[in-house]
Amino acid sequence: MAYLDQQSKSLWQRLWNFGCSLKLAIALASAATILIMGGSLVMHFNPAIFASMEQETMSRWLPQAWAQAPKLVFWVPLSGLCVLLFAINTLCCLIDWLCKIKARWRKTGEYLIHAGFILLVIAYIWGNISGFRSGPHRIFPGERIAIPEMPGYALQLDEFTPRVEPSGRPLDMINRVSLWKNQEPVAKALVRINHPLIYDGLVILPTSFGQELQGFRFHMPSRGLVDLMAGSRLPISPEITLEVRRLLPDARQNSQGRVMQVGSRLNNPAMQLSLSGPTGQLWEGWYFLRSPLPKALKEAGVFLRPIEPINKTFSLLTINRDPGDKVALAGSIFISIGVIFAFFSFYRKRAQGDRPEV
Amino acid sequence: MSKALLYLLFTTYATATVGYLVHLVWRRAIIARMSLALIAAGVLLQTGLLGHRWWLAGYLPVTNLFATLFFFSWALALIYLYFELRYRIRATGLFVMLLNLILLGGALPRDTSVSALIPALDTPLFSLHIIFSFIGYAFFAMAFSIGVLYLCQTRMKSEMLPDLPTLRRINEEAIFLGFGLFTLCMIAGSIWAHIAWGHWFSWNIKSVWSVLVWMFYAGMCHAKFIRRWQGGVYAWLSIAGFGVVLFTYLGIGLLLESNHPLE
Ligand code: HEM
Repeated sequence: MAYLDQQSKSLWQRLWNFGCSLKLAIALASAATILIMGGSLVMHFNPAIFASMEQETMSRWLPQAWAQAPKLVFWVPLSGLCVLLFAINTLCCLIDWLCKIKARWRKTGEYLIHAGFILLVIAYIWGNISGFRSGPHRIFPGERIAIPEMPGYALQLDEFTPRVEPSGRPLDMINRVSLWKNQEPVAKALVRINHPLIYDGLVILPTSFGQELQGFRFHMPSRGLVDLMAGSRLPISPEITLEVRRLLPDARQNSQGRVMQVGSRLNNPAMQLSLSGPTGQLWEGWYFLRSPLPKALKEAGVFLRPIEPINKTFSLLTINRDPGDKVALAGSIFISIGVIFAFFSFYRKRAQGDRPEV
Repeated sequence: MSKALLYLLFTTYATATVGYLVHLVWRRAIIARMSLALIAAGVLLQTGLLGHRWWLAGYLPVTNLFATLFFFSWALALIYLYFELRYRIRATGLFVMLLNLILLGGALPRDTSVSALIPALDTPLFSLHIIFSFIGYAFFAMAFSIGVLYLCQTRMKSEMLPDLPTLRRINEEAIFLGFGLFTLCMIAGSIWAHIAWGHWFSWNIKSVWSVLVWMFYAGMCHAKFIRRWQGGVYAWLSIAGFGVVLFTYLGIGLLLESNHPLE
């Protein structure tokens, strides 16, 4: 019995020693390094699979990429496993040291660096399993959108001012936003480049901005300038009213006469218009703004000359959540302080010949 | 920046390098001392030029290849001075300064003008990220030079070069200090990425290779504890490590067209 006890103890001891082994650490780190080196090139030459890697958390990206091309993706989980085992290895090392902490105060720097690394690995795993990355979301000033990944939360863009150089180069995007939780505002911030709104693991940041065609400004001989947008109604005479049904920024008419949207940029704009009188609808049809006015409109006395588009600016905001970010920050602080400590203790340890040899 | 001053700087370092070569052949201490004085003068001039560019731009100008090569070269010269004053490594300077001439020579034909800072880079985190990164790289370059010299010295056993244990010590120290600074660079970069992109680690090729550099040198901080690797293997690892650094700094930008702002 005693023999068995001793044998299991020594097995446990050997396992523990293996877990703490520096050689194992070097083997795991080398394996991860070689896998990631090769993988990074695979990544670079296969953007179709890997381009979305940055827009998704690992737990969302990996299954779909694996389903598409397991042979190109296998290195990701494999190197992840090596790094995880390496972190466990570091943890064992750290625990082993801490058990013998008495004589080791001058190793505070190393303790902090090793602990910080473990925290970073935990933070990455946590953030990538229970976090999300969403967007960019198109939001107009005054609009509020729900954050579907976090029920109860909504993001409102209160005000948006893009800053652009005279040359047209974008300088900054100034978004006054508020974050709502269960219909109550919980945070407000001025979000711009390098200044996100950070709240409860959520990071809200500006990505870009753009313009959406809202309507057109026309000149009418009898009235001067008029603005027409989808839903506008314009009385032409006491009996006849012009109504704008739809506005497409880039439209095309197919051979059967059906009008379809081709793109969202202003290119070949078209308006679906209708004329109605006391007896009901008199005419309905499409007016392509680059072509002459439809005959029916002219006959009804509607003379429109397009002057300029009316655009509304929207902001593109990205909403990410990384619940591990505070752990990562703690890890970074540990490592930074550890490095500063280690800068000093390195020379002391060297002067005293204090270093392990394996 | 005036090109004339830039050429003056290059000539100063080149003369010092030739001085070390002459010292190696004729063994005149005075020549070695003059070379060191020239390097010190060069570092002073380069510090002045860097400070002037910083003052002109209103931010640390390290946003294009000219500026990063210039900063890298400055850091390497400064680090060489540190090791020289601390360990009196004289002829070792020949090799380090040759490397420095390559860096500065790469910067010479490039456009020296400072452009307006793009908003995404307008944060102190960016400056810290770059300062720590290039000082770290300079230590790795120093370790690379010492690694090569270590291998030469194993064969030559020259009296003009420091003995093997000293070279080993300097190599280990350069790797350790470089690793510490590069760690701070990675931390500043991660915090910046978090506020700029909303995630502190990005799977783009430049970031991935920066992590590889970090892992490699973390490994080297431990490899010195392995008795059989001390010396020769460690010297080879320092050389290989600098290959990884060069690929991360230049190779990705030149060969693979990454979109990192610093290539
Ligand atoms: C990425 C992870 C790691 C990092 C960044 C790291 C970093 C460091 C640094 C900077 C030192 C100080 C070196 C010196 O004083 O010159 C060190 C020492 C050490 N590390 Fe690590 N390390 C890591 C993982 C590990 C692992 C997994 C182990 C154990 C298997 C380990 C074992 C040691 C040992 C034994 C020392 C020597 C401490 C002493 O002086 O007694 N490290 N580490």
